[in-house]
Amino acid sequence: MSRRSIVILLLIGSLAAASATVAKREPRREATREKDSRGVVHAIARAPLKTRRWQSPYNDDPSAILAGKKLFRHHCAECHGDDARGNLHAANLRAPGVQRATPGELEWLLWNGNLAKGMPSWSGLPPQRRWQIVAYLKSLR
Amino acid sequence: MSIGFRATILVVGLLGVLGGCPNASAQETPYFVAYSSHLEEPGNLEIEFYSIYGTQEAAGDLIAPWAEFEYGVTGWWTTEFYVDSQSTFGDSAVFTGTRWENRFRPLMREHFINPVLYVEFENTTDADKTLKEVVGFDNQLDAAEPNSQANQTHTHELETKLILSSDFKGWNFSENFIGEKNLGHEPWEFGYALGAARPLRLAATPYPCNFCRENFIVGAEMYGGLGTASSFTLSHTSHYLAPIFAWQMPNGITWSISPGFGLTGQSHEFLLRWGVSYEVAGFGRAIRSLFQ
Repeated sequence: MSRRSIVILLLIGSLAAASATVAKREPRREATREKDSRGVVHAIARAPLKTRRWQSPYNDDPSAILAGKKLFRHHCAECHGDDARGNLHAANLRAPGVQRATPGELEWLLWNGNLAKGMPSWSGLPPQRRWQIVAYLKSLR
Repeated sequence: MSIGFRATILVVGLLGVLGGCPNASAQETPYFVAYSSHLEEPGNLEIEFYSIYGTQEAAGDLIAPWAEFEYGVTGWWTTEFYVDSQSTFGDSAVFTGTRWENRFRPLMREHFINPVLYVEFENTTDADKTLKEVVGFDNQLDAAEPNSQANQTHTHELETKLILSSDFKGWNFSENFIGEKNLGHEPWEFGYALGAARPLRLAATPYPCNFCRENFIVGAEMYGGLGTASSFTLSHTSHYLAPIFAWQMPNGITWSISPGFGLTGQSHEFLLRWGVSYEVAGFGRAIRSLFQ
């Protein structure tokens, strides 16, 4: 078998493996839907009390919710899923424990992340964008 | 099996894995030289290709392209591998070495100033002209040596940085203090890099768009040498000021460009850096799942 044939076979094989990987993820996502959200609830519980009083500049502003949805898809959906129900190792953000958090507590969590548990800090996003993501998350309740 | 054939297999395999990964938008700052406290998101791989063009008084102008592969190991640890090369007008094009860097966030929460510790091992030759950092008494005349000679001298260097970074009202301010040690019994050399950057629009628009102001970041960085352990000084050192412009596309590709201007007689008069990066989300998980 020529080297070219081997390379073509490897190309086909690796693409098939990648496709299988994506296909395999779907049932796993289903299996972990409504994933336990205790980890994120514990992280929220560590938010300072003053964060409960932080007011969102957007509240139920429909355009902020749409912008938040767009940002969520860019930055968060890979771990939390397009529908925010969680998959693999990330929490279900529709869970009552998360939805009970105030907007200020959620913004604090986005700002700090939960580095030890794998959630990055989103302090590099301007505060306005973090609040837009919070507006979207609160719209899921 | 030849090296070229093995490299082809590696590239084909990597492309196959990347094909199964979605893209993502990073929140990283657009600096070329300075670093902020924002690390790569865990499990994401950022592939970056950059290049620098520089004028030189004592030799032909230079172009030094390099590739970066940046991976978020955890929320507090990012590792990065570099491959450097260089071409001098009227001389030759050479591969100049590799570098491996690690950045660690010691504090798990955000503060007004966020520290990051940086450690890098460089295995390069004297022909390396990527100017990723300026330290000691680095001088544009250092780069005048012909590639055939400079590429014979291999240097192993340990580079450390204390990165301090703050985010305030959409701005990022970063200050880096650099200490570099040639492991061949040479003194510590010091340098600095400062950066400030901000998106043109802080809030996001409701709909996907390529050309809205939220996708553009402007900023500037300043960097230079601070002498050595035995002579810590600003005099006879090179310093640069460079505005930065970056365009973060929603599909995960970021374009950036930065013209730099030498501020002292020791500096290259003009530098132009440009590059493109692509963020691959969930790369680590895709690799792990291949072995499960």
